[in-house]
Amino acid sequence: MSVLTTPAQPGQGRGLPPLPWRRMAWVTWRQHRLTVADVAAFLGAAALYLLIEGLPIRHAYAAVTACHPASSAVCQNLANNFNTGGYVSQAAIVGALLQVAAALVGAFAGAPVLARELETGTFRYAWTQGFGRRRWAAAKLVLLAIAVTAVAAAFSVMFSWYYQPFLAAGDQTPLGSTVFDLRGVAFAAWTLAAFAIGAVAGVLIRKVVPAMIATMAVWAGLAFATGAYLRQHYETPLVTGNPNVPGSAWVISQWWARGGKPASLPAINQVLRTVGVRASTPGQFHAQGPGLGNVNPVQYLVQHGFTQMTSYQPASRYWPFQFIEGGWLLALSLLLIAATVWLVRRRAA
Amino acid sequence: MTVLTTPTQPGRGNGLPPVPWSKLAWVSWRHYRIALFGAATFLGVLALYLLIFGLKIRGAYAAASACSPGVGGQACNAAFQLFDNEYHNAAEVTAAVLNAVPVLVGVFAGAPILSRELETGTFRFAWTQGAGRTRWTLARLALPALTVTAAAAAFSQLFGWFFYPFFATQTGAFGPQYFGLTGIAFAAWTLAAFALGTLAGVLIGRVVPAMAAAMAAYTGLMLATVLYLRRHYQAPLLARNGSTPSGANWNISQWWTGPNGKPVTDFAQIIGLIQHPQPGYTQWTVYQPADRYWHFQFIEGGWLLGLSLILIAATIWLVRHRAA
Repeated sequence: MSVLTTPAQPGQGRGLPPLPWRRMAWVTWRQHRLTVADVAAFLGAAALYLLIEGLPIRHAYAAVTACHPASSAVCQNLANNFNTGGYVSQAAIVGALLQVAAALVGAFAGAPVLARELETGTFRYAWTQGFGRRRWAAAKLVLLAIAVTAVAAAFSVMFSWYYQPFLAAGDQTPLGSTVFDLRGVAFAAWTLAAFAIGAVAGVLIRKVVPAMIATMAVWAGLAFATGAYLRQHYETPLVTGNPNVPGSAWVISQWWARGGKPASLPAINQVLRTVGVRASTPGQFHAQGPGLGNVNPVQYLVQHGFTQMTSYQPASRYWPFQFIEGGWLLALSLLLIAATVWLVRRRAA
Repeated sequence: MTVLTTPTQPGRGNGLPPVPWSKLAWVSWRHYRIALFGAATFLGVLALYLLIFGLKIRGAYAAASACSPGVGGQACNAAFQLFDNEYHNAAEVTAAVLNAVPVLVGVFAGAPILSRELETGTFRFAWTQGAGRTRWTLARLALPALTVTAAAAAFSQLFGWFFYPFFATQTGAFGPQYFGLTGIAFAAWTLAAFALGTLAGVLIGRVVPAMAAAMAAYTGLMLATVLYLRRHYQAPLLARNGSTPSGANWNISQWWTGPNGKPVTDFAQIIGLIQHPQPGYTQWTVYQPADRYWHFQFIEGGWLLGLSLILIAATIWLVRHRAA
């Protein structure tokens, strides 16, 4: 028996060509179609709720705008009632509850992608199908990120529609903490960030439920820090001595000043002592000693040379702030997804 | 070779005695301790936030109430208004977000218990360790259910302390945004979320889908209760022209009727009537009086507890009848 052999030629037999990316897209869709459908269903149900609740609000606001003449007492009362009544508090509650939506989407969509494979051991199968680990992870994460961000962006359009009458009435600030991150580009950016945090938590923690919890905790910390501290510094706040700041401005802090310099609390109390009022903080006054009559301490201070200074962000800075926030969140998300893809290489099979 | 045999006596050789509950409790604790640590950390961080924020609010409230409203003239009214403006918004947002705590704690604690075993197949091992399925499931569910409910009850008391200055100065705890956070309702809703999680876990058999399904079911139940069910625990009362008793009543709805008895629909006209009541126009209010608050808390807590027990019983029944 003779054996036919040929020596290997350089350049031949280098292995199979890599699978095309579209095959990976199909695999991603087959594995995660239920997840994408669930995210769409969840945000869709929330959008339906906003639609049902938003129509009476639009109706009421239409009555406000249809009232003529606009400066008469009746129309002012109408506007005032709209701005301070039940619709506003209901919208505030809806806005507060929807804050968790981005974190939930990120935890449910982002964390299980890699954590499930690592926890159950199916990564040993998934990563040996002719498509390298990193390309596999990158394809999955990028495709799912695009899908989830698109659904979130659509939802934020719905929320903008719902909230628009309050902003048009001019009494609510679009920069407020429960409204800003649900509109414009911010909601899509926060959802993408939650997804990215979920991905990196999944590859680091390697168990699904702990990764979900870690995702939500980290996202909550980041969102809280941004809303409470970071966002007001995107641009230097404006400072004014005019006590009539427009209702659509985001007031950051207020203090008393005299002669162009900030007034200390003892200086304020020295003036107020003559009318028997004491200030425990620049905003809190209470009775102290005789002389307490019909004196409004704020007016009294203004009459005696004090100015109430306000630092605020005007509503016109809404879109610049949206782009700043969307920009750094996008950069963070890309960084985290890149880190996830890099970390996948180091995990032992 | 002879084989020595003895016939079995009735009553002997009937098998090993069942595994004692203390052993089952130990197994349950070993499985649960990390989840308990996580839940305790989460609630602890929230409690710390409520504590710090609440002390600030109480300080400001003490300063404001040193002159009670209506007694001290303009300065006192200004003090109360400043207190309200500064803290009310943030406290309301905090309260709204806290409505999400029962579902998160309950579902994250409850859903993975059974669904993880079913998904990974370790139930074949767990159910054949000398303790029958029923006793094993009861032991696995009892400890988390009790600790999660107790932690939620303690947390709702802290929230009551935190929000007290606002309850004292405005609408009270009967409104829909606060009713589920105070009294016994918070703990009852957490237990219900837990029970929904365990039932979803055994029905669906996979962790993440079970959690999602339990959250969806909880949301539906919560919406149905807040929007329809709660106002009918007792027949609401109808008041003419604002003759509601004093106190923090829950005003469910309000409308005006004209001289012909037909309801007024024009929004502008309603605002006008609120400012200047006119003869011939009657204001009707459907409300629940404030003294029914605890009655309603017990009704809601009671049916939620009953529902939770039914769901957990259904879970155990499904575990028994499931093919291994």
